[in-house]
Amino acid sequence: MMEYLKYAGILLGLIIIQKTAVSFIDVTEFKITPDLVIIGLVYVGIKKGKITGSAAGFAAGLILDIFSFSFIGLMALSKTIAGFASGFFNDEQKEERYLNSYIFIIIVSICSVINNTVYYVFYFQGTNLLFVDILIRYVLPTTVYTALFSVIPVIFARRRRFAR
Amino acid sequence: MKILLSYLGNLKEYIIFSALIVISLLLIFQNDNVQIRFVRVIAVNVIGTIQDGFSIIPNIFELERENKSLRETNIDLSKELSMLKEAKLENLRLNQMLEFKQRTNYRVATGKIIGKTLIQTRNNITINIGENDSVKIGMPVITDRGLVGKIVATSGNYSIAQILLNKDLKVSAKDQRSRVDGIIAWDGEGKIRMKNVSKSADVKVGDLLITSEYSNSFPAGIPIGYVTTDNTLDNLFKNIEVECFVNFQTVEEVFVLKFLSEDERRDLEKKYGEKSK
Repeated sequence: MMEYLKYAGILLGLIIIQKTAVSFIDVTEFKITPDLVIIGLVYVGIKKGKITGSAAGFAAGLILDIFSFSFIGLMALSKTIAGFASGFFNDEQKEERYLNSYIFIIIVSICSVINNTVYYVFYFQGTNLLFVDILIRYVLPTTVYTALFSVIPVIFARRRRFAR
Repeated sequence: MKILLSYLGNLKEYIIFSALIVISLLLIFQNDNVQIRFVRVIAVNVIGTIQDGFSIIPNIFELERENKSLRETNIDLSKELSMLKEAKLENLRLNQMLEFKQRTNYRVATGKIIGKTLIQTRNNITINIGENDSVKIGMPVITDRGLVGKIVATSGNYSIAQILLNKDLKVSAKDQRSRVDGIIAWDGEGKIRMKNVSKSADVKVGDLLITSEYSNSFPAGIPIGYVTTDNTLDNLFKNIEVECFVNFQTVEEVFVLKFLSEDERRDLEKKYGEKSK
């Protein structure tokens, strides 16, 4: 139970940072920001599996939707799928390896691509933007930016591991 | 059952995932923005295409229900159509009558025929206007097409008129083209004839017949009918058959012309008649 509260706390913290501080570090003319919540979500998915991953994704996405005051449910949908996808990397024997190495960055990238594709494709429905444009302008930049930030927890984890 | 439960147990991750996806989609479709409208259009198109594909498979129960519903609609529409046709025809008739009413120099009262006999030798019509509408005995009854007959009895709200298909009604008439005079009367056997026309008179098939100035009961110039047969009756007179302009089988509304013969003229003619006897 405590473990789940810990994950909830991490996600909540990341949501607050995402909605407050992250907008200060946007890049490109399309105001691309890293998705810190997906990093936390991948962490939960690797640790607890598909069910927890998707449930955490749904809850986190719904909170983000409520904070955004528009298009309720879209973030919940994309984060649910991303959380579920991260659950595929739930393997007790490989867990440490996944979390402490560059593999975590790859998993974050995969989940981020899924999350961003679902989100932006839905978000830009009814506009003249082509799928390729959405991919190049929004999905890939956000993924790369998020992947860069996913290096931070890996470094922390590795330091802790060496400290032990 | 155990196998099924175990199978479902293995799928629980996917079941929960699907449920969360469905909830998310339901939340998404609660929005009303451009994106969702666009997605709705796509969804409607996809569902429409799928339904179109399935529609080639006939659903017997649905067809039966649809058939019943269509039959009911058909009956309703038929009734409505019939009423509309009736209203249209009535409108046409009333329009024609209104036009005539505005055209004529005489004051008229408009009445509806509420009773009719056409198979006797003395045929009459009953009209729904009477003395309360200033209808009096002797007034001519006409339609926009021509002469119908003459009022012979009145009450407060009703009156009876002899029509041209009545042996007792005789009308002074003339050929509009050649001004030849005669008497229009019904023979009681299905024909209206123009009588008292000499063999040498200029009357041709197709000539129009109108009421004459000699008539004491009708104003001159009311159309009566046209000549259909013109042959010799005997050595002195012609046998002229007339087709009336008014169709007595179908006529429904009539005008009563507020016209009465002049008393002075009638008295003079009466006095002279007695004197010559």
